[in-house]
Amino acid sequence: MKRWIAIVVIVLVAMAVPQVLNPSGYWMRVFTLTLLFAAMAQAWNLIGGLANQLSLGHAAFFGIGAYTSTILLLKFGISPWIGMFAAGALGGLAALVIAVPTMRLQGHYFALATLAFGEVARVIANVWTSLTGGPGGLSVPFVPPSFAAYSFKQLLPHAYIALVALIIVTVIFEVIRRGAMGYRLRAIRENAAAAEVIGIDTTKVKLQTAVISGVLTAMLGTLFAQVAVFFDPDTAFSAASISIRVALIAIIGGVGTAVGPILGAFFIVPIEELMNDLFSSGAAGLSQLIFGVILIVVILWRPRGLVTIFEALRARLQGRGAQS
Amino acid sequence: MIPAQPLLEIKALNAGYGGIEVLHDIDIEMQEGEFVCIIGANTAGKSTILRAISRLVPNVRGTLRFKGVDLAARTAHDIPSLGIAHVPEGRHVFPDMSVEENLMLGAFTARKSTDLKQRMERIFELFPRTRERRAQLAGTLSGGEQQMVAVGRALMLQPKLLLLDEPSHGLAPKVVEEMHDAFVKIHQGGTSILLVEQNVGLALDVAARGYVLESGRVTLKGTSAELNANPAVRAAYLGI
Ligand SMILES: Nc1ncnc2c1ncn2[C@@H]1O[C@H](COP(=O)(O)OP(=O)(O)OP(=O)(O)O)[C@@H](O)[C@H]1O
Ligand SMILES: [Mg+2]
Repeated sequence: MKRWIAIVVIVLVAMAVPQVLNPSGYWMRVFTLTLLFAAMAQAWNLIGGLANQLSLGHAAFFGIGAYTSTILLLKFGISPWIGMFAAGALGGLAALVIAVPTMRLQGHYFALATLAFGEVARVIANVWTSLTGGPGGLSVPFVPPSFAAYSFKQLLPHAYIALVALIIVTVIFEVIRRGAMGYRLRAIRENAAAAEVIGIDTTKVKLQTAVISGVLTAMLGTLFAQVAVFFDPDTAFSAASISIRVALIAIIGGVGTAVGPILGAFFIVPIEELMNDLFSSGAAGLSQLIFGVILIVVILWRPRGLVTIFEALRARLQGRGAQS
Repeated sequence: MIPAQPLLEIKALNAGYGGIEVLHDIDIEMQEGEFVCIIGANTAGKSTILRAISRLVPNVRGTLRFKGVDLAARTAHDIPSLGIAHVPEGRHVFPDMSVEENLMLGAFTARKSTDLKQRMERIFELFPRTRERRAQLAGTLSGGEQQMVAVGRALMLQPKLLLLDEPSHGLAPKVVEEMHDAFVKIHQGGTSILLVEQNVGLALDVAARGYVLESGRVTLKGTSAELNANPAVRAAYLGI
């Protein structure tokens, strides 16, 4: 009960925030990106948290999503709302193609293999000029503003779309985590040998998870394209600013929990933006350094993620309750 | 009369890992209702036989049939639904799940079953300590209790054939005894058992007959009484 009240309050606050921000201002952009990255980290959380496979290749699905809807819009005038589903289908297919050979790999090997796949996707996007426009990038064409065309005068609607996306991805994550599939994944995570002998098809469950994660990430790539308006292969398929960042957000926030990626995004994205802002004029690289130091401190302080702050708080409150 | 179809039929089985063959020309046959053991020294390939039956060993050649079904054509996750439950070597429980959750997952492939509570009740009767600890996380149980959970989880499937891989390894003598009493009861309840043991004395105590495995070959087979009386077995495994 208390939990539901908390969820409703948080959603209401999130809905109120865009109302007090400048409708097309800097902070609206930060807020929207934070929500999008939270949703992406949540989609990553399926494979990274529930299936316990550290993917560093999610930029592949993200980039495919951004490019698919934008190319469909450019070449055929198809609304990104529809393009988003084509993006999801291709993202799921790409996840299957990547997961089949890599899913048996454990730990670092899986991480490295997915990182390599992400890089391959980036190279392909750079080289396949006739389709993607190559290194020059793509601009989302201007269409008269309307909801059906997914085109708006202000950033404000994007913030709400990102919020809805985050809620949907989080609900999907939670439904999977609590359902039969979540149980299977948990059994595999806790003891792979035992999971095998009780008849869990470990490969199949992990593939299903990877595909769902790929579909969602690609659809979020479409949303990103609509916000960014312009992107090139090196941004949409970036290992550092997409793949690793998304994994980092989930890890800093708390892997395998629904709250973790949201906390992680609201911690990392604004700080990163602020750092870039404060130090970009002075010494280049200084912001990166400070950001890195902050990350190290947080990881040392909360190795299992920022979510553990809540556990500690709850324990303390209960302790106090017991005393009085 | 048609001769009864064997429950388990292994003929000229060769199996191994990577390029290395571990089992050579294994012949093992079990009828329904039998309690059979496989004994042998370390690395003889005992676990590999059970793992081959469960299709956890990728490279197998030869005949591998269960009630006439060709196991070689199946994959690991098909095996439980055929009625074969495998308790692997080592204490494989789900550590962060309760005892009850562990048991429930055992019946994972028995989707339609409505009598899971009764099945669990029977396991609690067999291993009373699992009832006391039903809500406890399996990872915090003692070694013996974890092994009881692992066996109980396999029984949740109500298997026709139970594969036990060194279930008493590393347990206190009293727990080992408890465990073997339970196996006798499970067998009396109608489940066929294929038991792998290094503790040869105990294995021959509970099983009706056995196979001796040496370097991946069956070198001897017979009733438990015959094996017990065999000078080679006595010298090599019973230390007499
Ligand atoms: N996964 C594996 N990959 C490669 N070789 C393996 C693997 N598992 C077992 N082996 C090898 O196969 C041989 C037989 O192993 P197996 O585990 O079947 O023996 P065992 O009789 O059960 O021994 P123990 O009594 O020690 O359990 C050993 O030489 C072992 O090194
Ligand atoms: Mg063994």
